[in-house]
Amino acid sequence: MDLHEVEQLLEKYWQTETTLEEEDRLRAYFAQGQVPPQLKAAADLFTFFQAEKNKTLAENFDGAVTKRLKARQGGKLVTMIGWGNMARIAAGIAVVVAATFLIRQEIRKSYPKEAQDTYTDPQLAFEETKRALQMISNSFGKAKKEASKMQMLNEAEKKIQMKSDSDRINI
Amino acid sequence: MTLEAFQNMVFPVKNKLYRFAFRLLGNNEEAKDVVQEVMIKVWSGRDQLDQVQNLEAWCMRITKNLSLDRLRQQQRRPTDSLEKGMHLTHQSLTPAEATELGERMKRIAELMAELPDKQRQVMHLRDIEGYSYNEICEILEIDMSQVKVNLFRARNAVREKLLKMDAYGLA
Repeated sequence: MDLHEVEQLLEKYWQTETTLEEEDRLRAYFAQGQVPPQLKAAADLFTFFQAEKNKTLAENFDGAVTKRLKARQGGKLVTMIGWGNMARIAAGIAVVVAATFLIRQEIRKSYPKEAQDTYTDPQLAFEETKRALQMISNSFGKAKKEASKMQMLNEAEKKIQMKSDSDRINI
Repeated sequence: MTLEAFQNMVFPVKNKLYRFAFRLLGNNEEAKDVVQEVMIKVWSGRDQLDQVQNLEAWCMRITKNLSLDRLRQQQRRPTDSLEKGMHLTHQSLTPAEATELGERMKRIAELMAELPDKQRQVMHLRDIEGYSYNEICEILEIDMSQVKVNLFRARNAVREKLLKMDAYGLA
Protein backbone atom coordinates (compact mmCIF):
# COMPACT_ATOMS: atom_id res chain seq x y z
CA MET A 1 0.00 0.00 0.00
CA ASP A 2 1.57 3.32 -1.01
CA LEU A 3 1.70 6.40 1.23
CA HIS A 4 -1.03 8.23 -0.68
CA GLU A 5 -3.43 5.32 -0.25
CA VAL A 6 -2.58 5.07 3.45
CA GLU A 7 -3.27 8.77 3.95
CA GLN A 8 -6.58 8.47 2.11
CA LEU A 9 -7.64 5.49 4.20
CA LEU A 10 -6.58 7.28 7.37
CA GLU A 11 -8.71 10.27 6.46
CA LYS A 12 -11.66 7.94 5.99
CA TYR A 13 -10.79 6.30 9.30
CA TRP A 14 -10.93 9.61 11.22
CA GLN A 15 -14.29 10.34 9.55
CA THR A 16 -15.60 6.90 10.67
CA GLU A 17 -16.13 5.88 7.06
CA THR A 18 -13.77 2.92 6.78
CA THR A 19 -14.98 -0.67 6.56
CA LEU A 20 -13.58 -3.41 8.81
CA GLU A 21 -11.46 -4.64 5.88
CA GLU A 22 -9.97 -1.18 5.32
CA GLU A 23 -9.19 -0.91 9.03
CA ASP A 24 -7.46 -4.30 8.81
CA ARG A 25 -5.32 -2.97 5.97
CA LEU A 26 -4.35 0.03 8.09
CA ARG A 27 -3.50 -2.28 11.00
CA ALA A 28 -1.33 -4.40 8.73
CA TYR A 29 0.44 -1.30 7.35
CA PHE A 30 1.28 0.09 10.79
CA ALA A 31 2.32 -3.33 12.12
CA GLN A 32 5.31 -3.39 9.76
CA GLY A 33 6.91 -0.59 11.79
CA GLN A 34 8.38 1.79 9.20
CA VAL A 35 6.18 4.91 8.97
CA PRO A 36 6.89 8.50 7.93
CA PRO A 37 6.95 11.09 10.76
CA GLN A 38 3.61 12.69 9.76
CA LEU A 39 1.86 9.36 10.48
CA LYS A 40 3.50 8.81 13.87
CA ALA A 41 0.36 9.63 15.90
CA ALA A 42 -1.75 7.19 13.91
CA ALA A 43 1.01 4.58 14.07
CA ASP A 44 1.14 4.86 17.87
CA LEU A 45 -2.61 4.49 18.10
CA PHE A 46 -2.69 1.37 15.91
CA THR A 47 0.26 -0.09 17.83
CA PHE A 48 -1.66 0.50 21.05
CA PHE A 49 -4.76 -1.23 19.67
CA GLN A 50 -2.68 -4.23 18.63
CA ALA A 51 -0.95 -4.44 22.02
CA GLU A 52 -4.32 -4.31 23.77
CA LYS A 53 -5.68 -7.10 21.61
CA ASN A 54 -2.79 -9.34 22.66
CA LYS A 55 -3.79 -9.21 26.35
CA THR A 56 -5.10 -12.54 27.55
CA LEU A 57 -6.24 -14.24 30.72
CA ALA A 58 -3.81 -16.37 32.67
CA GLU A 59 -3.61 -20.05 31.69
CA ASN A 60 -5.10 -21.32 34.96
CA PHE A 61 -8.35 -19.43 34.28
CA ASP A 62 -10.02 -22.31 32.40
CA GLY A 63 -9.36 -24.75 35.24
CA ALA A 64 -10.74 -22.38 37.88
CA VAL A 65 -13.92 -21.69 35.91
CA THR A 66 -14.45 -25.35 35.02
CA LYS A 67 -14.31 -26.22 38.71
CA ARG A 68 -17.02 -23.65 39.47
CA LEU A 69 -19.16 -24.79 36.55
CA LYS A 70 -18.94 -28.43 37.67
CA ALA A 71 -20.01 -27.41 41.15
CA ARG A 72 -23.13 -25.92 39.62
CA GLN A 73 -23.94 -28.81 37.32
CA GLY A 74 -26.54 -30.10 39.84
CA GLY A 75 -29.10 -27.94 41.57
CA LYS A 76 -29.51 -25.71 38.56
CA LEU A 77 -32.87 -24.41 39.72
CA VAL A 78 -31.39 -23.11 42.94
CA THR A 79 -28.61 -21.43 41.00
CA MET A 80 -30.99 -19.74 38.59
CA ILE A 81 -33.46 -18.61 41.22
CA GLY A 82 -30.81 -17.67 43.76
CA TRP A 83 -30.97 -17.92 47.53
CA GLY A 84 -32.14 -14.35 47.93
CA ASN A 85 -35.14 -14.91 45.69
CA MET A 86 -35.89 -18.26 47.36
CA ALA A 87 -36.03 -16.49 50.74
CA ARG A 88 -38.35 -13.84 49.29
CA ILE A 89 -40.70 -16.49 47.88
CA ALA A 90 -40.71 -18.41 51.20
CA ALA A 91 -41.47 -15.21 53.13
CA GLY A 92 -44.34 -14.43 50.73
CA ILE A 93 -45.87 -17.88 51.19
CA ALA A 94 -45.53 -17.62 55.01
CA VAL A 95 -47.36 -14.26 55.01
CA VAL A 96 -50.22 -15.65 52.88
CA VAL A 97 -50.61 -18.75 55.09
CA ALA A 98 -50.57 -16.68 58.31
CA ALA A 99 -53.09 -14.18 56.91
CA THR A 100 -55.44 -16.99 55.79
CA PHE A 101 -55.28 -18.64 59.23
CA LEU A 102 -56.03 -15.39 61.09
CA ILE A 103 -58.90 -14.43 58.78
CA ARG A 104 -60.49 -17.89 59.16
CA GLN A 105 -60.26 -17.60 62.92
CA GLU A 106 -61.93 -14.18 62.88
CA ILE A 107 -64.75 -15.49 60.66
CA ARG A 108 -65.30 -18.48 62.97
CA LYS A 109 -65.49 -16.22 66.02
CA SER A 110 -68.18 -14.04 64.44
CA TYR A 111 -70.51 -17.01 63.71
CA PRO A 112 -72.18 -19.16 66.42
CA LYS A 113 -71.06 -22.73 66.69
CA GLU A 114 -72.91 -25.15 64.49
CA ALA A 115 -75.75 -27.11 66.14
CA GLN A 116 -74.71 -30.48 67.41
CA ASP A 117 -76.74 -33.59 67.99
CA THR A 118 -78.06 -33.64 71.54
CA TYR A 119 -80.08 -36.86 71.43
CA THR A 120 -78.95 -40.33 70.56
CA ASP A 121 -82.44 -41.88 70.66
CA PRO A 122 -84.51 -40.83 67.57
CA GLN A 123 -87.82 -41.41 69.38
CA LEU A 124 -86.78 -39.12 72.22
CA ALA A 125 -85.58 -36.51 69.69
CA PHE A 126 -88.96 -36.73 67.92
CA GLU A 127 -90.84 -36.26 71.21
CA GLU A 128 -88.69 -33.26 72.11
CA THR A 129 -89.24 -31.69 68.67
CA LYS A 130 -92.97 -32.30 68.93
CA ARG A 131 -93.01 -30.66 72.35
CA ALA A 132 -91.06 -27.66 71.03
CA LEU A 133 -93.40 -27.29 68.03
CA GLN A 134 -96.43 -27.63 70.34
CA MET A 135 -95.06 -24.82 72.46
CA ILE A 136 -94.63 -22.61 69.40
CA SER A 137 -98.10 -23.52 68.21
CA ASN A 138 -99.63 -22.62 71.65
CA SER A 139 -97.82 -19.30 71.52
CA PHE A 140 -99.19 -18.65 68.03
CA GLY A 141 -102.77 -19.46 69.25
CA LYS A 142 -102.39 -17.08 72.18
CA ALA A 143 -101.10 -14.37 69.89
CA LYS A 144 -104.00 -14.91 67.49
CA LYS A 145 -106.52 -14.46 70.37
CA GLU A 146 -104.84 -11.16 71.33
CA ALA A 147 -104.84 -10.07 67.69
CA SER A 148 -108.63 -10.70 67.40
CA LYS A 149 -109.16 -8.20 70.27
CA MET A 150 -107.24 -5.66 68.23
CA GLN A 151 -109.56 -6.40 65.30
CA MET A 152 -112.62 -5.68 67.48
CA LEU A 153 -111.15 -2.32 68.43
CA ASN A 154 -110.48 -1.51 64.76
CA GLU A 155 -114.05 -2.33 63.78
CA ALA A 156 -115.42 -0.14 66.61
CA GLU A 157 -113.18 2.70 65.47
CA LYS A 158 -114.49 2.33 61.90
CA LYS A 159 -118.13 2.47 63.10
CA ILE A 160 -117.48 5.65 65.12
CA GLN A 161 -115.77 7.19 62.14
CA MET A 162 -118.74 6.40 59.87
CA LYS A 163 -121.19 7.78 62.44
CA SER A 164 -119.32 11.06 62.81
CA ASP A 165 -119.11 11.41 58.99
CA SER A 166 -122.89 10.96 58.55
CA ASP A 167 -123.58 13.48 61.32
CA ARG A 168 -121.35 16.06 59.54
CA ILE A 169 -123.30 15.55 56.27
CA ASN A 170 -126.70 16.04 58.01
CA ILE A 171 -125.52 19.29 59.53
CA MET B 1 -25.66 -29.42 26.90
CA THR B 2 -22.51 -31.10 28.18
CA LEU B 3 -19.81 -29.17 29.96
CA GLU B 4 -17.40 -29.99 27.17
CA ALA B 5 -19.70 -28.61 24.49
CA PHE B 6 -20.18 -25.50 26.59
CA GLN B 7 -16.43 -25.06 26.99
CA ASN B 8 -15.92 -25.37 23.23
CA MET B 9 -18.61 -22.82 22.57
CA VAL B 10 -17.98 -20.17 25.21
CA PHE B 11 -14.36 -20.43 26.34
CA PRO B 12 -12.92 -19.15 23.04
CA VAL B 13 -14.38 -15.68 23.71
CA LYS B 14 -13.02 -15.44 27.25
CA ASN B 15 -10.14 -13.09 26.33
CA LYS B 16 -12.46 -10.68 24.54
CA LEU B 17 -14.73 -10.68 27.58
CA TYR B 18 -11.76 -10.11 29.85
CA ARG B 19 -10.39 -7.20 27.80
CA PHE B 20 -13.80 -5.56 27.65
CA ALA B 21 -14.38 -5.99 31.39
CA PHE B 22 -10.91 -4.61 32.04
CA ARG B 23 -11.63 -1.59 29.80
CA LEU B 24 -14.80 -0.88 31.78
CA LEU B 25 -13.51 -1.62 35.27
CA GLY B 26 -9.83 -0.79 34.97
CA ASN B 27 -8.94 -3.55 37.40
CA ASN B 28 -7.42 -6.87 36.49
CA GLU B 29 -8.83 -8.96 39.35
CA GLU B 30 -12.31 -7.53 39.00
CA ALA B 31 -12.23 -8.11 35.26
CA LYS B 32 -11.35 -11.79 35.86
CA ASP B 33 -14.17 -12.10 38.40
CA VAL B 34 -16.63 -10.64 35.92
CA VAL B 35 -15.61 -13.12 33.21
CA GLN B 36 -16.14 -15.98 35.69
CA GLU B 37 -19.54 -14.58 36.57
CA VAL B 38 -20.45 -14.35 32.88
CA MET B 39 -19.45 -17.97 32.32
CA ILE B 40 -21.54 -19.12 35.30
CA LYS B 41 -24.52 -17.04 34.19
CA VAL B 42 -24.38 -18.44 30.66
CA TRP B 43 -23.91 -21.99 32.00
CA SER B 44 -26.93 -21.59 34.29
CA GLY B 45 -29.04 -20.54 31.33
CA ARG B 46 -27.58 -23.11 28.93
CA ASP B 47 -31.03 -24.54 28.13
CA GLN B 48 -31.97 -21.27 26.45
CA LEU B 49 -28.74 -20.93 24.47
CA ASP B 50 -30.37 -22.14 21.25
CA GLN B 51 -32.52 -19.00 21.29
CA VAL B 52 -29.45 -16.75 21.25
CA GLN B 53 -28.56 -15.65 17.74
CA ASN B 54 -25.08 -14.26 18.38
CA LEU B 55 -23.58 -15.97 21.43
CA GLU B 56 -20.41 -13.86 21.45
CA ALA B 57 -22.32 -10.57 21.33
CA TRP B 58 -24.64 -11.86 24.03
CA CYS B 59 -21.72 -12.76 26.29
CA MET B 60 -20.19 -9.34 25.66
CA ARG B 61 -23.46 -7.71 26.62
CA ILE B 62 -23.60 -9.67 29.88
CA THR B 63 -19.99 -8.62 30.53
CA LYS B 64 -20.91 -4.98 30.01
CA ASN B 65 -23.93 -5.21 32.31
CA LEU B 66 -22.09 -7.01 35.11
CA SER B 67 -19.15 -4.59 34.89
CA LEU B 68 -21.41 -1.55 34.98
CA ASP B 69 -23.30 -3.06 37.93
CA ARG B 70 -20.01 -3.33 39.80
CA LEU B 71 -19.09 0.25 38.98
CA ARG B 72 -22.52 1.42 40.14
CA GLN B 73 -22.23 -0.54 43.40
CA GLN B 74 -18.86 1.04 44.08
CA GLN B 75 -19.98 4.39 42.64
CA ARG B 76 -16.75 4.89 40.82
CA ARG B 77 -15.21 5.34 37.42
CA PRO B 78 -12.40 3.07 36.28
CA THR B 79 -9.37 4.66 37.89
CA ASP B 80 -6.49 2.27 37.63
CA SER B 81 -6.92 1.35 34.01
CA LEU B 82 -3.61 2.93 33.16
CA GLU B 83 -1.10 0.55 31.76
CA LYS B 84 1.51 -0.39 34.27
CA GLY B 85 4.53 -0.59 32.04
CA MET B 86 3.53 -2.09 28.73
CA HIS B 87 6.22 -4.43 27.51
CA LEU B 88 6.23 -4.20 23.78
CA THR B 89 8.62 -6.29 21.84
CA HIS B 90 9.27 -4.51 18.61
CA GLN B 91 11.99 -5.65 16.30
CA SER B 92 14.87 -3.24 15.75
CA LEU B 93 14.08 -1.09 18.81
CA THR B 94 16.85 0.01 21.12
CA PRO B 95 16.10 -0.18 24.88
CA ALA B 96 15.65 3.62 24.88
CA GLU B 97 13.23 3.46 21.97
CA ALA B 98 11.33 0.62 23.63
CA THR B 99 11.00 2.68 26.81
CA GLU B 100 9.78 5.68 24.84
CA LEU B 101 7.25 3.54 22.99
CA GLY B 102 6.07 2.09 26.32
CA GLU B 103 5.57 5.62 27.64
CA ARG B 104 3.58 6.60 24.57
CA MET B 105 1.40 3.52 24.91
CA LYS B 106 0.77 4.38 28.53
CA ARG B 107 -0.22 7.91 27.50
CA ILE B 108 -2.67 6.58 24.90
CA ALA B 109 -4.19 4.30 27.52
CA GLU B 110 -4.67 7.36 29.71
CA LEU B 111 -6.27 9.27 26.83
CA MET B 112 -8.66 6.41 26.22
CA ALA B 113 -9.51 6.12 29.92
CA GLU B 114 -10.37 9.82 29.95
CA LEU B 115 -12.99 9.39 27.22
CA PRO B 116 -16.68 9.40 28.20
CA ASP B 117 -17.93 5.86 28.93
CA LYS B 118 -19.85 5.28 25.72
CA GLN B 119 -17.02 6.59 23.53
CA ARG B 120 -14.52 4.39 25.32
CA GLN B 121 -16.72 1.33 24.96
CA VAL B 122 -17.42 1.88 21.25
CA MET B 123 -13.74 2.55 20.49
CA HIS B 124 -12.69 -0.59 22.33
CA LEU B 125 -15.22 -2.79 20.53
CA ARG B 126 -14.41 -1.43 17.07
CA ASP B 127 -10.72 -0.57 17.12
CA ILE B 128 -9.40 -3.25 19.46
CA GLU B 129 -11.84 -6.13 19.00
CA GLY B 130 -12.86 -5.38 15.41
CA TYR B 131 -16.64 -5.77 15.81
CA SER B 132 -19.04 -4.62 13.11
CA TYR B 133 -21.32 -1.67 13.79
CA ASN B 134 -24.30 -4.03 14.02
CA GLU B 135 -22.58 -6.16 16.63
CA ILE B 136 -21.66 -3.05 18.64
CA CYS B 137 -25.32 -1.96 18.54
CA GLU B 138 -26.30 -5.37 19.92
CA ILE B 139 -23.65 -5.42 22.64
CA LEU B 140 -24.18 -1.88 23.89
CA GLU B 141 -27.92 -1.81 23.20
CA ILE B 142 -27.74 1.50 21.35
CA ASP B 143 -28.64 2.45 17.77
CA MET B 144 -26.31 2.72 14.79
CA SER B 145 -26.19 6.52 14.75
CA GLN B 146 -25.10 6.57 18.40
CA VAL B 147 -22.37 4.04 17.64
CA LYS B 148 -21.01 6.14 14.78
CA VAL B 149 -21.22 9.45 16.62
CA ASN B 150 -19.44 8.03 19.66
CA LEU B 151 -16.76 6.40 17.55
CA PHE B 152 -16.18 9.61 15.56
CA ARG B 153 -15.85 11.65 18.73
CA ALA B 154 -13.58 9.10 20.42
CA ARG B 155 -11.19 8.76 17.47
CA ASN B 156 -10.95 12.48 16.94
CA ALA B 157 -10.51 13.29 20.63
CA VAL B 158 -7.61 10.84 20.86
CA ARG B 159 -6.13 12.03 17.56
CA GLU B 160 -6.23 15.67 18.64
CA LYS B 161 -4.46 14.92 21.90
CA LEU B 162 -1.88 12.74 20.17
CA LEU B 163 -1.11 15.53 17.70
CA LYS B 164 -0.70 17.96 20.59
CA MET B 165 1.61 15.48 22.29
CA ASP B 166 3.76 15.34 19.17
CA ALA B 167 3.70 19.10 18.67
CA TYR B 168 4.55 20.06 22.25
CA GLY B 169 6.39 16.93 23.33
CA LEU B 170 3.96 16.24 26.16
CA ALA B 171 4.70 12.55 26.20
